[in-house]
Amino acid sequence: MNNQTPLAIDVRDVTKTYSMGSLEVQALSGVTFTIARGEYVAVMGPSGSGKSTLMNVLGCLDRATTGSYRLDGVDVSELDDNRLAEIRLRKLGFVFQGFNLLARTDALKNVALPLFYAGVPGRERTAAAQRQLAEVGLGDRAHHKPNELSGGQQQRVAIARALVNDPAVLLADEPTGNLDSKTSEEIMALFATLNARGRTIILVSHDEGVANHAQRIIRLRDGLIVSDGPPAGR
Amino acid sequence: MIYFEEALRVLFANKVRSLLTMTGLIIGVGAVIAIQVLGSSMAGAVNGALGNMADNSFIVAPNGVQGNFRRAAIKLTDITAIEQDVPNIEQGIPLGGQNFLIQNGHHQARYFLTPDSSQPFNDSPLLYGRRFTSSDIADATNVAVISYRSYQKLFPHGGDPTGRSIYAGIHRYVVVGVLAAPKRGFINAQFGGDITIPYTTYVNQYVHDGVAGAARFIVADASRMNLTEIAVMKQLKVLHGNQKGLQYQTFDKSQLTKGINGIFGVLTIVVALIGAVSLVVAGIGVMNIMLVSVTERTREIGVRKAIGARRGQILAQFFIEALLLCGFGCGMGLAIGLSIGWIVNQFAIVKVTGYVAPLPWVESLLIAGAFTIVVTLAFGTYPAYRAARLDPIEALRYE
Repeated sequence: MNNQTPLAIDVRDVTKTYSMGSLEVQALSGVTFTIARGEYVAVMGPSGSGKSTLMNVLGCLDRATTGSYRLDGVDVSELDDNRLAEIRLRKLGFVFQGFNLLARTDALKNVALPLFYAGVPGRERTAAAQRQLAEVGLGDRAHHKPNELSGGQQQRVAIARALVNDPAVLLADEPTGNLDSKTSEEIMALFATLNARGRTIILVSHDEGVANHAQRIIRLRDGLIVSDGPPAGR
Repeated sequence: MIYFEEALRVLFANKVRSLLTMTGLIIGVGAVIAIQVLGSSMAGAVNGALGNMADNSFIVAPNGVQGNFRRAAIKLTDITAIEQDVPNIEQGIPLGGQNFLIQNGHHQARYFLTPDSSQPFNDSPLLYGRRFTSSDIADATNVAVISYRSYQKLFPHGGDPTGRSIYAGIHRYVVVGVLAAPKRGFINAQFGGDITIPYTTYVNQYVHDGVAGAARFIVADASRMNLTEIAVMKQLKVLHGNQKGLQYQTFDKSQLTKGINGIFGVLTIVVALIGAVSLVVAGIGVMNIMLVSVTERTREIGVRKAIGARRGQILAQFFIEALLLCGFGCGMGLAIGLSIGWIVNQFAIVKVTGYVAPLPWVESLLIAGAFTIVVTLAFGTYPAYRAARLDPIEALRYE
């Protein structure tokens, strides 16, 4: 990772307004925060708080209506769709609640997919994907298809896929929502390990127990940040 | 290419659906290629059969439908006059035929004795000996070139019959040549007379009233044959006193070829129509199933976009899926069409005509390839474009 700026994420006065017919809905009413490299941040809030919208903006899946957003030193507020895709490819890794692996495709190929989109040659793709799978503890499951893996294993494959391009930020949206508590703990332990190795992680969850694994919690309500600090009890 | 790998995986995962979608293409391409193969083998057979026919001479005869056929009959003097007066005419040869019991010892059969020149109208290959020479014509020698079937009848023991004699009534002819057996089938069987003798000999021995009936003219410049034919018919009317109702007709190789080409032209239009209709029908099927595929995989598309796939990469994926679908369909159609064409060719056309035309591989491949490209471009582009345009957030939310 480069060290030109210590900030992984720099959000200033970001608003997001959706128009539903004649009705205008303000999902984000001006949020400002920064996340330094190597931080482990949880974003919390009840439904309708703007949590998902913020996640979409941070994930470069959507653009803020006003305000500026710098990701890893790059201003992404005004980029077009293809440039945003490029940013998602190079600087972001997504982990979803539902794993979202390609069915009928083995773990190795799933992990290698972002490398294909990045234009990495086949042999290097396989090697890097294999390395990444080993890192999440699934080195021996490379040729298993998603339906041959447990939920926890599938989520590990998804995490390996998110990390294979060495992104600046790992974005996890309710990553344990579909897992039992024991498996959830394993996944959270994996996140902790990744963070300990210097990975910047943003976790979206409505589960306090999950969010408490982070070093810092940003709480949203009605499109505004209501609190920002370390989890209670730390 | 990972696009091909993924597209194959999708197509094989939905085998029945893919196959049903391809049916339209299989039938359409199969039908077009089968007809194409048949057309080209028919054309090949006809060309093979007509290949020996001279393209520098034409036959002119009184039209058989006119009431007074006899007054229009071509006389030897007419032929001489036309040779002299009509430009582009090189030689005029009287046509005719005399039915005789032809004998070689006690082997005998009834055949038509017909005149020919040293430049035969149908120059089919010889089994033995030679054609007439110009000195045969000039000297009106008593020689004969015989057909394969009359050779079998008159010389049942086989062997080279040249130099031996056959008899027709009071006349004796020395066999100088035997035509090779015609190819199996009817088209070639009756070309070339059974017993031909030099036309000068024929005139000397059988044309005592000076009436030949019909004639064949050899032209110097084959490209002006049509004009020459018209000039000859006009001259014939003049020679026959321009009587009311005189009618002549001509016959040459180009007329025959033109007629056959006309039939193939109609066939080609029919094929093109079938092709166009099946192309549209099959294309709509492809588009339909590709739209279903895009809708079914909306979430997957969202994930791919979130991972960082650009629009062009999503477009390429679905475009290649459509391309493979069309390619397989057209490929199967190609195989089926060629098989049907080959079978019909082997068991019908070759039997009837005796000519084996090679399968039109290149044309068939071009047809199948063109079908694939056109259907993919016309009907695969829109679904792929729709997939590429999906909003990643909505696509990810799709259940």
